[in-house]
Amino acid sequence: MIKKKICMVGAFGAGKTSLVSRFVHSIFSDKYQTTVGVKIDKKVIQHPVGEITLILWDLAGEDVLTTVRPAHLKGAAGYILVMDGLRRNTLATAIDLHARVSEAVGNVPFVCVVNKTDLRESWEIQQADLDGLIARGWTVVETSAKTGAAVEGLFRTLTDAMMQELHVDDSTADAVAG
Amino acid sequence: MSTAPLRDLEQEGRRNAGASGGDYARLRELLVGPEQSRLEELQRRLDDRQLRTEDLSQIVAEAIALRARRDRSLQQALNPMIEEAVRISVTRDPSVLANTLFPVIGEAVRKSVAHALRGLVESINQTLERSLSLEALKWRIEALRTGRTFGEIVLTRSLRYRVEQVFLIHRETGLLLQHVARADQVIQDSDLVSGMLTAIQDFVRDSFAGTGGHEIETIELGEFNLWVQHGPKAILAAVVSGTPPPELRSLLQRALEQVEAECGLLLSPFKGDATAFAQARPLLESCLLGRQAQRSATHSRSFFVAFAAALLLAIGLLIFFSVRAHRRWDYLVERLRKEPGIVLTGAERSWGKYELVGLRDPLSTDPDRLIRASGIDPGKVRSRWEPYVSLDTKFTLSREFLAEKSALEQAVLRFPLNSAQLSAEQLAKLDDIEVHIFKLQNDGAAMGQKFAIELQGHTDPTGDEAKNDTLSQGRAEVVSRALVSRGVSPETLRVVAFGSRQPVRRASAYLTELNRRVTFRIITENEVAR
Repeated sequence: MIKKKICMVGAFGAGKTSLVSRFVHSIFSDKYQTTVGVKIDKKVIQHPVGEITLILWDLAGEDVLTTVRPAHLKGAAGYILVMDGLRRNTLATAIDLHARVSEAVGNVPFVCVVNKTDLRESWEIQQADLDGLIARGWTVVETSAKTGAAVEGLFRTLTDAMMQELHVDDSTADAVAG
Repeated sequence: MSTAPLRDLEQEGRRNAGASGGDYARLRELLVGPEQSRLEELQRRLDDRQLRTEDLSQIVAEAIALRARRDRSLQQALNPMIEEAVRISVTRDPSVLANTLFPVIGEAVRKSVAHALRGLVESINQTLERSLSLEALKWRIEALRTGRTFGEIVLTRSLRYRVEQVFLIHRETGLLLQHVARADQVIQDSDLVSGMLTAIQDFVRDSFAGTGGHEIETIELGEFNLWVQHGPKAILAAVVSGTPPPELRSLLQRALEQVEAECGLLLSPFKGDATAFAQARPLLESCLLGRQAQRSATHSRSFFVAFAAALLLAIGLLIFFSVRAHRRWDYLVERLRKEPGIVLTGAERSWGKYELVGLRDPLSTDPDRLIRASGIDPGKVRSRWEPYVSLDTKFTLSREFLAEKSALEQAVLRFPLNSAQLSAEQLAKLDDIEVHIFKLQNDGAAMGQKFAIELQGHTDPTGDEAKNDTLSQGRAEVVSRALVSRGVSPETLRVVAFGSRQPVRRASAYLTELNRRVTFRIITENEVAR
């Protein structure tokens, strides 16, 4: 029974909530996000080591007025950075968020998501921008909340990365013990 | 890399220098000259403490950080040293450490004192409440008898609360480590509830408590309480219905401490594997204390309502009957007091028994009839009536009437043998008889008493019966005519012939003449009806 805390961050209106809404189990309404600042969903992933429960902290969108609360990031085993392909400024927000999140939770696995592939022709974010991110070592996934493309894969990629991390940790621990 | 072979090489070189001259040295200088100078430089650095320290100082921080990330052996190794260092520091100059701790210690003390005071107030309230109840007394006796603490008894016996669910939550991530609940509880996804609870705590802390390090300890929602206990690594949240006793909080705190110690939370970092916390389940289940408080309360309440209603009804009926009996009694007493010919001297009433004492004129209304008319059971009434003569007009008239009646009925008019003629002597008696009749008529009119006068004719036993009947009829008619001629109304007079069938008892064969007579009888209205 492995459980992981995942945070989902991104600019306001990047489509974080709608991106996952069809793929996760939720009992709370969207208004929690605007009041408490976070909404919690659950996603169960089948993995070779067993069932993995992802507890998804869907944090309120980042904008001029709202910033991500560091308390909400505490203890995250991984995170998802969401950008809106139609708005170039969400790229800068994502880069900024990446810096802040990694400062808060350390160097944990994350996946960068560019949303709204269904409107690809109108994107402001160019392929060159994405190549730049990949060059930094980021995992970039292009999705569409509307069609649901690649969303399942997104969770799987992140889970694999986190489990690898776990194994690395375990092996080093063993080595020290031996 | 070891320095020992280098040293050997040099010594050998020096020894050989004398024997083979400068050739060897020159050769060596040509072959390994640059390396040798580097080796010498390295040797110098290794021998020089100062330089070595400088080198080490450049990497020591990174090395410590690296090791600390791998395992905890460094912390364990450093632990006694740090303790010793702190001890030395305190021994040498306590003010240094005191000054350092000053900003935090005030806050810590304030928090701790506030916490303790709140607990104290709660327990004082409970103690006051309990010291006055019978239930608490029973619990104290049970505690003495079984040797358990009073707190334990309170937790198991108290009917006013029930722990419905217990969440064990990892403090940092908000991940659910373990969850237990009553079988009858509707359970939302506990993973999500656990996460949201943590998020809300963060929210409240960020919004209201600033950086004070305060935690939510209680959330109240209607009849539900959420009690949250905080440990260094985990949070124990209990959903409790009803009014839990304060002892529950310390029980939860102890359970949390035990879980943290037993499941190794304090030693190794949590990596998301909650399997290890299955062993905490029995401990958490032991926290599901209390009983279905509300339901039993409603039961006893409805029972109480029914009981109270029955009691009220019974009291109501009792009052009704008692008031009715009282009124009936008052009515009877009043009636008896007003009744002519009855003088009530005492009327006692106690526990459904009645007693009447007084004087009663024999002519007055029968008191038993009045008692029956009032609705009181005559069997419950004991009465003692002394006879007396009432001077009430009603009774004087009545008495006079009776006296005249008796006088008239004793009057006898005698006749000679075989004759219906009154002698002069007997005719004179008619004057008295006439007076009696007029008095009776007067009194009867005053009293409203109607009556008739029967004139009864008799003969002596001699002669045949038919002749005697005719003769007795003739004698009575003679008297009737005589009275009518004196003014007596003929309607009040009736003539009856008895022949010789009603002889005078006293009359013997020698006094057979006494039977030849006419007598009077007054027949009142009542008697006619009868």
